[in-house]
Amino acid sequence: MGEPLEDRGNSLMKESWNMLLTYLTAAALVFVLTFHLLLQSPLVGKAFEDTLSFGVATGNLVYYRVVFGLLLVTAVIHGFNGVRVLVLEWLHPTKMGWLLNLVILVLMAFLLAVGTVTLVVVH
Amino acid sequence: MKEERRYKSGLIPSLNPFGFNIERWSYTVHRATGVILVGYLTAHIFETFQLGAGSAAWANTMAALRSLGPLEMVGLWIVAGSALYHGANGIRLILNEVFGKLMGKPILPVYPYSPTSLGRNQRVAVWTITAVVLLLWAWAGLYLLAGLGVI
Repeated sequence: MGEPLEDRGNSLMKESWNMLLTYLTAAALVFVLTFHLLLQSPLVGKAFEDTLSFGVATGNLVYYRVVFGLLLVTAVIHGFNGVRVLVLEWLHPTKMGWLLNLVILVLMAFLLAVGTVTLVVVH
Repeated sequence: MKEERRYKSGLIPSLNPFGFNIERWSYTVHRATGVILVGYLTAHIFETFQLGAGSAAWANTMAALRSLGPLEMVGLWIVAGSALYHGANGIRLILNEVFGKLMGKPILPVYPYSPTSLGRNQRVAVWTITAVVLLLWAWAGLYLLAGLGVI
């Protein structure tokens, strides 16, 4: 019996862990994104245009900061890991996989930084 | 030769659902909506960033979006439909792949192969998702587009 098959490839983590992360972030997104969409819906008793006013938008961001923080993290991880999987499925970049992972990680980090600054600065 | 082309790998063939079963359509739409959502997510993070720059910057951002005219709300409607479909189909995929639900029991692969994973439960799930999403998308359309007098 040899060693178990290693599915790490060029990734920083095993693909099985990546998939688990994808499922967990997907499950979390169902709840936090539904919450975000409900805040923009007529169920909050405001016209859609009014939900986009500076006062309402900043109020929501401040009052539900933790929810929006969770939404930012889960959406960025799920979305960009999904893009990574799409590129892998289509182009099979076995030799350039490290570059793909690097680009995706940089994009994730950049967007998380921009989103975090927004969450911290808005008051 | 025709069959070989049908199963060719690559970007365009992998997106082509024509001539395949409903699961392939679901696969294609799930990926297409995912790409739309990632594009919107990126833009939305930068859009929301303007909130931190103050009310004047936010007003400018909103004015820039308004200058798109009806395209803004049509775009949001497409994003809403993408989120609805991607989310609902994603729940089905989690039931399938994480919990093994709706898949049927495995059988010996006797020719002609008929995958149990595409049984009645799966078809009912896919069509139910499609119907519910179309209904909610129509409601979102009325909400988004009617407010602007587009419809």
